[in-house]
Amino acid sequence: MTQTMQVTGHLAPDQLNAFIDGELSSSESRAIQRHLADCHSCALRVLSATQLKAATARAARRYAVPPDALARLTAQLRPQEPKKTARSYSFRSIGWVALAASLVIAVSLIGWRQIRQANALSAELLDQHLATLSSGASPEVISTDRHTVKPWFQGKLPFSFNLPEVLPADTSLKGADFTYLSGQPAALLLFTIHKHEVSVFLTQRSATAIATMPSHVRSGFNIYYASTHDLGIAAVSDVNPADLKLLLSALVQAQSPG
Amino acid sequence: MFHIHRRVVDFIPPPGFLTCSHSEALCTMSFAASSATFEQLAVPLLPSLYSHAFWLSRDHAEAEDLVQETLTKSLRAFGSFEAGTNFKAWIFRILRNTFLTSRTGIASARTVFLEDHPDLLDIADASPTPEDHILRLDNQAAVNEALDRLQPALREVLLLCDVEALKYKDIALVLDVPIGTVMSRISRARRTLYQMLQSQLGESL
Repeated sequence: MTQTMQVTGHLAPDQLNAFIDGELSSSESRAIQRHLADCHSCALRVLSATQLKAATARAARRYAVPPDALARLTAQLRPQEPKKTARSYSFRSIGWVALAASLVIAVSLIGWRQIRQANALSAELLDQHLATLSSGASPEVISTDRHTVKPWFQGKLPFSFNLPEVLPADTSLKGADFTYLSGQPAALLLFTIHKHEVSVFLTQRSATAIATMPSHVRSGFNIYYASTHDLGIAAVSDVNPADLKLLLSALVQAQSPG
Repeated sequence: MFHIHRRVVDFIPPPGFLTCSHSEALCTMSFAASSATFEQLAVPLLPSLYSHAFWLSRDHAEAEDLVQETLTKSLRAFGSFEAGTNFKAWIFRILRNTFLTSRTGIASARTVFLEDHPDLLDIADASPTPEDHILRLDNQAAVNEALDRLQPALREVLLLCDVEALKYKDIALVLDVPIGTVMSRISRARRTLYQMLQSQLGESL
């Protein structure tokens, strides 16, 4: 904006708008604030314009996205559906694409399948973790006591697991839920580390690809994997990776007591 | 009160918009690498994109179609997005151009359009009395109705500013107009809302 440092006379409409929209430099803003301290009329106009701005925003937010539409749009962005987007590419360069594709297939078909599985699995893990964060719904078992949580799963899961006797510092168990991962039954344990929510999923090692997955970051959340002889374990959280690894290794150790 | 210059504009497709700056093959190859980043940037904006699409089209089914098409186009063109620039402004611009090329958009672009003359707009507004601005802004229903009735071109700029919190320079990018035009449209939009609210107030007293 090109206003001078001195505000003479009343604020021009553009000046006033730029002021309430936060478009001015700090020195320009200060000059206007000095003027407002002395000019009742302009102060009133600024107040009124600010109210109108807020009321406009409220009026506009009446038309929020319906949950089912949001779900469809989010699904469109999921990487496990690349075919839909790929189809819309021009066929002009199909020769090059075919050559590239055959090379990719020849070199690492298995690698590709792993990446694809990994994407689908990590998307599912993240979705479930976000669901626990956003739903506000309580887990099925609300308990910090491992002696309550573990027996609750008996008869629900086709496998058993142990919970650590001692958890890492500032880490606590909040509760647990029964869930499915890649269509297989899984235990979902909810922890907090330094007030960050952590979802830990335990499945049979043979049931999912967890045991072979590399840890990675997805949408700002760390997803870490570990496995024991029988179990595949995945942990999702925005807590720092070191603390997440500590919890994972405590869980791994608990599976082989003595 | 103030001059309104009107003219009928024919719809002009956005020039060269959404063409990939690289070859198709390069676009295809960069797709896999960039899709994760694209998803991270786009998912948080879905509610905003939908809401804005609804305001443009005034129809829920069409809003969803618009956002869907916007996502497809912008993912394809993501290679031409410059890192460090405003992704929200970039994708809102694609949404707007998608709307303009839709049937509803073409129909609306053929109707009377407001021309922006910053030098002519604000003269009558130079010395408003404070009383002009004491309005029942706490009457949300009145503001809702005024925003519904506001001319689409004015409403659009106000939504980008007040709801999407875009800076003037980013709004200029979305609308493909100079920044001075953004300022004059915002000024005019707010003044028109005031006038609508004042006339509503007059009727209700």
